[in-house]
Amino acid sequence: MISVTSLTKFHGTHRILNAVSLTVNKGEVTALVGPSGGGKSTLLRCINGLETFQSGEVDVVGQKLAGGKPFDPKSLQKLRQKVGMVFQQFHLFPHMTALENVMSGPRYALGKSRAEAEPLARKLLERVGLKEKADSKPANLSGGQQQRVAIARTLAVQPVAILFDEPTSALDPAMATEVLAVMRDLAAEGQTMIVVTHDMDFAERATVVHRMKAGEIVKSGPPNEVLKDHS
Amino acid sequence: MKKLAIAFLLLLCTSLPAQDKKPFRWGTDPTGGAPFVYQDDDGKYIGFEVELAAYLAKKLDREPKMVAGDWSNLPQQLNKSPDVEGGIDVVLNGYELQEDLAGKYLPTRPYYVFRVVLMTRKDNPAIRGWSDLYQRGGERKTVGVLGGTVAQEYLEKTFQKQIELLSNPDVANVIKLVRDKRLDATVQDSPAATYFLKEYPELAAVGEPVRPGFYVIYCRQDDKELVAKLDAAIADGIKDGTLQKIYEKYGLWTDDQERLLYWQSQPWPPPFHPEAEGKGEEKKDAPSPLPRLSRELAEAAWVTIKLSFLSFPIAMAIGLAVGVGRVYGPRWVRVPFTLYVEVIRGTPLLLQLFIIYYLIPDLLARSGIGFLGDLGRALTPMVAGVLGLAINYSAYEAENYRAGLLAIPKGQMEAAQALGMSRFAAIWHVIVPQAIRIVIPPVTNDFIALFKDTSACSIILVVELTRKYNELFNFNRNLIVELAFLTAGLYLLMSYPLSIVARRLEHRLASLKGGAA
Repeated sequence: MISVTSLTKFHGTHRILNAVSLTVNKGEVTALVGPSGGGKSTLLRCINGLETFQSGEVDVVGQKLAGGKPFDPKSLQKLRQKVGMVFQQFHLFPHMTALENVMSGPRYALGKSRAEAEPLARKLLERVGLKEKADSKPANLSGGQQQRVAIARTLAVQPVAILFDEPTSALDPAMATEVLAVMRDLAAEGQTMIVVTHDMDFAERATVVHRMKAGEIVKSGPPNEVLKDHS
Repeated sequence: MKKLAIAFLLLLCTSLPAQDKKPFRWGTDPTGGAPFVYQDDDGKYIGFEVELAAYLAKKLDREPKMVAGDWSNLPQQLNKSPDVEGGIDVVLNGYELQEDLAGKYLPTRPYYVFRVVLMTRKDNPAIRGWSDLYQRGGERKTVGVLGGTVAQEYLEKTFQKQIELLSNPDVANVIKLVRDKRLDATVQDSPAATYFLKEYPELAAVGEPVRPGFYVIYCRQDDKELVAKLDAAIADGIKDGTLQKIYEKYGLWTDDQERLLYWQSQPWPPPFHPEAEGKGEEKKDAPSPLPRLSRELAEAAWVTIKLSFLSFPIAMAIGLAVGVGRVYGPRWVRVPFTLYVEVIRGTPLLLQLFIIYYLIPDLLARSGIGFLGDLGRALTPMVAGVLGLAINYSAYEAENYRAGLLAIPKGQMEAAQALGMSRFAAIWHVIVPQAIRIVIPPVTNDFIALFKDTSACSIILVVELTRKYNELFNFNRNLIVELAFLTAGLYLLMSYPLSIVARRLEHRLASLKGGAA
């Protein structure tokens, strides 16, 4: 479903990703682990075109991004509607209510009307356990609640895969737990996802784990194989 | 250093003889123009009043020294000591003998008898005399005057709302507007009319010059000695033909001037209300002009409100477009928009208004393309004022919005784009609404500033509050304090609610903050 082929990225002369290749199958949960600065987040950002890269290719169900040249805005937009992203800092839109945040993708990216977008948005808020917070502004939500709204917002455009960039790193443990619970539910329902995480509990339940270090995937395999030396 | 000191000493020595004579400091407004006081091609000041002042100074054995000031504020200069910077001994600049002024300052005997003259284009068949100014069914005639003058007072009293009276602080501009068919007519003091009829052969005086009045020199109330000397000098000048020679040089000698000699020997000043003589009570019972003046000020305040509320939304719209273009646009948008902001911010509002109202229609007329010329002629002062204010403030608003846009965290754009929004959709639905909220306080501040900047529109014949105040106190100098307080009060009444709204908005904004991270 998602394949990354020898992706190489430089920041100036500093090589951040070195010929990284990776395949994600439908319904799989892929965890990216490893020390900070290893290139995990950058890899994730390359997959949905937030970062350009010098060489290699990204393919998300047929939508391709090629390295070495600027992305075409139209195909980039199509790719992003297929692969959603959840950020460490949530990045909710502060001027919109929780419900409006969740509707923003369908309305402003897919061109649906409010009436069309609202039923699904309410359902998704209920699914992340925030039905009663629909009319709250992000400023009045806790970090965990904000991240759950952000997940619902990503789900609303019905992407085939979701990229999670350290989704619980900015949260205290109790709030992290409520977010992880939502993510586990999604995984159990067969949602394809790639998760950059330091949370070993979560990584242990992934389908595949890739350990990254200095811009390369140094070890791949089932969780018990990849994680055992480090836990 | 030494050289400099010697040079300075030399300078001091050479200027000493001149300092022997006491200066005769006469206050005037050279922008008031020809033929009173104006500059010749070499930049030297000439005019019949310059020569009159020189003659009077010679008779007084003093050194004439011209002191420039704003015309309507010249008499106030007499309230200060003559020895301060910009201090004056007399006001000599086409000032009429008026009751309110004569009550506060000492007038000399008259040095000139003027009338007001109606001028229009030679080829304008609609106006062949004063009575043609009355509204007969059709549209009101537009008549331009110098604000605060006898001509304005005369037209207001005689024609009231029958004409559209447009006042302006500059004579030459009004005359040009009549020539360019953008005003129907103008009424000027006879000296100005004489001069400009020579300069602009397209114009003609129509009807008889009316309402004779005296030009006098005003001095301090306690300066009786100076007034006596000036009176003697004026009388001598009339008798020996010196004044006649000066006036003839400028083509200003008229039959009216023959009366000057008569008035040199009459009781002075003559009674201002001859019809009320003997019925002393009459004058006391005269109704206070304050209610009428308040109403006139309130009407002018309404013009200020219209100017502000029409121009500022346009300024915000242009500013937002320019601000977004500068932050998110491609290079070919950013460069011209940056230039726009710098040029508009770097030039004064007065100049921009002048260009919009006077220069652009002039260029359009010269383009020879019929409908463009008509478009220029159709540009009313109000529309030009709104446009000028909108364009001027759009540059400041563009900077506000730019700052607001730059303050939005990068993650907002990334999150929006990650949802599959186009760049445009992300800017429009996510970035701009947040930026607008952030800049509410500086934008409201600018609106309050614009309220006060509307006064600049007086140079293009829009009579708003400040202009009205200036004109009213010209005829009501004994109410100067009351008028000033009324005007200030009206401004406060308009801007204070805005301040309250601004504060409310800021509170609401503060409650929205904190969720942006």
